[in-house]
Amino acid sequence: MMLSLSAKTTETAVDLQMVNGSSASDAQGIAHANELASFAEAIAQRDAAKIKRTRDALAEVAGDAIMIDAAAVAANFQRMVRIADSMGIPIDDKNVEAGAGIRQELELGRFASAQNTPSANR
Amino acid sequence: MMQAFRYSQSPYSIRDDLSAAYRAFWSRLASPGSWWTGAERVAIAQESRHAVKCRFCAERKEALSPYSFAGEHEHAGTLDPLVVDAIHRIITDQTRITQSYVDDNAGEGLSKEHYVELAGIVVVTFSIDEFHRALGLPLEPLPDPLAGEPTHYRPAHAVAGTGFVPMIPADGNVGQEADLWPEGANANVLRAFSVVPDAVRDWMLVGNAQYLSMEGMQIFAGDTGRCIDRMQIELVAARVSSHNECFY
Repeated sequence: MMLSLSAKTTETAVDLQMVNGSSASDAQGIAHANELASFAEAIAQRDAAKIKRTRDALAEVAGDAIMIDAAAVAANFQRMVRIADSMGIPIDDKNVEAGAGIRQELELGRFASAQNTPSANR
Repeated sequence: MMQAFRYSQSPYSIRDDLSAAYRAFWSRLASPGSWWTGAERVAIAQESRHAVKCRFCAERKEALSPYSFAGEHEHAGTLDPLVVDAIHRIITDQTRITQSYVDDNAGEGLSKEHYVELAGIVVVTFSIDEFHRALGLPLEPLPDPLAGEPTHYRPAHAVAGTGFVPMIPADGNVGQEADLWPEGANANVLRAFSVVPDAVRDWMLVGNAQYLSMEGMQIFAGDTGRCIDRMQIELVAARVSSHNECFY
């Protein structure tokens, strides 16, 4: 949702399927998008060899500072999902309707934690 | 503790605000909390490091019914099995935690207040450790615990009804909890840990450095104060969240 909002604000074209790891899609308006997505995915997968490979690839094209910032953001979101799911929080009321299209496009209803927001699954 | 997160051997130059936030959390981690002692809090953090390599957790993750899958966690041996299981589930199988699981744990002695503080310790320690793993850096040694007793502080206005545990209402950022979130920014995720207000403060302290401040989150274009722009930040965030099957 935040990616979508940011894209809308900056009038940047983004194929949201990239969020799901589709290699065929791309985000033309985001610099180093493929390298950033690969590094993020490796961190989430907790695959040490892939992390090293994608970290080096990102640092080579974007520099260490961007790679480090990306590592920090990824680490942050390794935490956020665990806050939401361990506490069983539902999607905020204001986002149930507003995010319906994105959830449908990305087929997020398949996730187990979707059951925490019954109103978003009707 | 003041020497923690100095990164003197790191091949990378780490931002000062990141190391300062991590150091501040380490100090909080070592101190008595609201429901756990300093020694228990450090033991919980230590157990979160066992969870990532627990073979039972890896097998259970593949099971269709995680609550009927028998076995034993690989653990440090200092915490109650109920506590160990909660820590491991939050790290390795968080999407399948249920209201029944949290309620049953409360009935067996792991109160919801204890569970929330435990979760706060686990997720913040994990996010700091993940930053290190992402950069190929060794994990920071855990701090030595400080003596003292938990405060047993619970906001009187925390109520059940939003998630698995009681939370402060959206307009409940008043009195001692006035600093928890700014007016108008009361998303459920901000309130999730609020029955233990210091747990909210702890993750926001680290989140401000790893991601964005509350004010920064409202700016969708322009300077982020980082080397990556907002689109890049949100792409990384979305990819990690998707892999973790985050519906929220």
